[in-house]
Amino acid sequence: MSTFDQILPIANEVLTTHHNKVAQLDWLIINRDLTGRVRFIAPELSKEDEPQRADVEVVYQALSERLMPHAYSVDAGILYEASLELACQGATHYTLGGFNKVWIVDRLATEANWAHMVPEIEGVPRIVFFSIKGGVGRSTALAATAWSLAQAGKRVLVLDLDLESPGLSSALLPPERQPMYGITDWLIEDLVDNGGAVFDDMVATSNLSHDGEIHVVPAHGAEHGEYIAKLGRVWMPKLRADGTRETWSARLGRLLQALEERIQPDVVLVDSRSGIDEIASACITDMGANLILLFALEGNQTWNGYRMLFEQWQRAHVADKIRERLKIIGAIVPELDRVSYLEGLRESAYGVFVDTLYDEIAPAKPEAIGLTPNGEGKWHVGDLVEGWNFDEADEGAPHYPWGVNWHRSFAGLRSLQGRLATIDAQEVQSVFGSLIGGVSDAVDLRRPS
Amino acid sequence: MLADFLDAHERHWTDAEGLFAAERFANADHLYGMATECGLKRLMMRFGMTVDEKGNPTKRQDWKHVKDIWARFETYRSGKVEGVDYGLPTPSPFDNCSVDDRYAHQSHFDKVRVQSHQTGARTVRNLVAKAQREGLI
Repeated sequence: MSTFDQILPIANEVLTTHHNKVAQLDWLIINRDLTGRVRFIAPELSKEDEPQRADVEVVYQALSERLMPHAYSVDAGILYEASLELACQGATHYTLGGFNKVWIVDRLATEANWAHMVPEIEGVPRIVFFSIKGGVGRSTALAATAWSLAQAGKRVLVLDLDLESPGLSSALLPPERQPMYGITDWLIEDLVDNGGAVFDDMVATSNLSHDGEIHVVPAHGAEHGEYIAKLGRVWMPKLRADGTRETWSARLGRLLQALEERIQPDVVLVDSRSGIDEIASACITDMGANLILLFALEGNQTWNGYRMLFEQWQRAHVADKIRERLKIIGAIVPELDRVSYLEGLRESAYGVFVDTLYDEIAPAKPEAIGLTPNGEGKWHVGDLVEGWNFDEADEGAPHYPWGVNWHRSFAGLRSLQGRLATIDAQEVQSVFGSLIGGVSDAVDLRRPS
Repeated sequence: MLADFLDAHERHWTDAEGLFAAERFANADHLYGMATECGLKRLMMRFGMTVDEKGNPTKRQDWKHVKDIWARFETYRSGKVEGVDYGLPTPSPFDNCSVDDRYAHQSHFDKVRVQSHQTGARTVRNLVAKAQREGLI
């Protein structure tokens, strides 16, 4: 009896054994369906070609015998489609290692696949705050960053996308300033083409900053209404009149674009849901974010979580589409032994990045190392060794943490509205300085003032 | 004989296409309707329709022909997470059908009428193929 994790290794073995038969096909899909069972999808032409059809059946038979119960009988386990594109549509797909014509297609019960990467957007910088575990001060750090950027004269747009545990807006807005609606309301109204009814009343300006502006879009409005009934529907895709489908994250992207057009911000800060979650996937992979801040506490729970995520990117061959946008944030760095704590955090982060996202750089070939041919008696390496990699101590590397210090006055988001209203810039700097500096540089780099 | 809605859906579709190509529109029309009915019934089984030992629906309300099964399908699909992406367009392309059509004279079946039913049957066929890819059936 095989288990789910054995599907890919076994598929690789079986296809290697039958590589001659597989090579005859234009393409072949190993389709992992919603229940985690495997079918082949083969080109329609091979259905009519008797020898090819027989070959496909032989290979599937060999595979299904080893994969049971994660497979079907031969008569039910092979589907035929006219084109590869059609068969892959709407699902995560990537090639099986070692076979450039064999694709793994993964169909999930959720829309979040974490492997579809929207490239960086060209317009206003979008910065996502994400944590693999909750309760690490992510929303507080976002509020402080928004305040600081606004104090520096920037127009900041803040989105609370922690829909299942909202709270950011209460940190930035006093109760009397909360807008009537929030993101959840728009996502529901949009399903019936009524987004316009709430759009003008879902943004409020914070009174915290005196020099710039913070525009806040909360998860819900001042009156949260039937929040649970609404939340259960936000994930709905929208079916257009012509029968095409718009995913919920595409709808969210449309909302963000409309908000940017209306508010014309200098920067957008997004508070993402924590964990490997549907909303988090939309924030990290679908928004075209320019900078993704990964909050981390030193410990196995944090690094196991990030490792799972990074390995998925590696497996789906999309690591190079996102790794340059990542930055580890050392969350709530303890007061005692700050330096050694951050060093430990850096070392752990480096380990995970090296194993998953950084390129492995092989040493130069021995024959490329030797004396220069011009007889000067100098040694040289006649081999260009390239790859995307960093030293552990490289401050510009994604794994090198920007630290957010623990501070009594910032523990707990609820009190933040009061704290930021009276706090001095120096105190914010001492706690969030490294993060704020990094974010400011990233914003200025993209939008020189 | 035991009912096999999936197999019946496929054979009715294949034969309907053959008859349509041969411009035998009346019987093509009948088989597009049958293919649609069988395909939807197979999907309804996945979304909760119960069948007896012979494979026939146990509820009288499910003994419908193509005109009514289009709406009946929604009863089973709604409220199921896995059914979210299996919506049918409205109005149904089979609204102009009747069970009595099978007794009608063939001059009543022109290409345009049959094409709209072919489109409806193809919609269901695509849903059946999608359900197979996703492992729902």
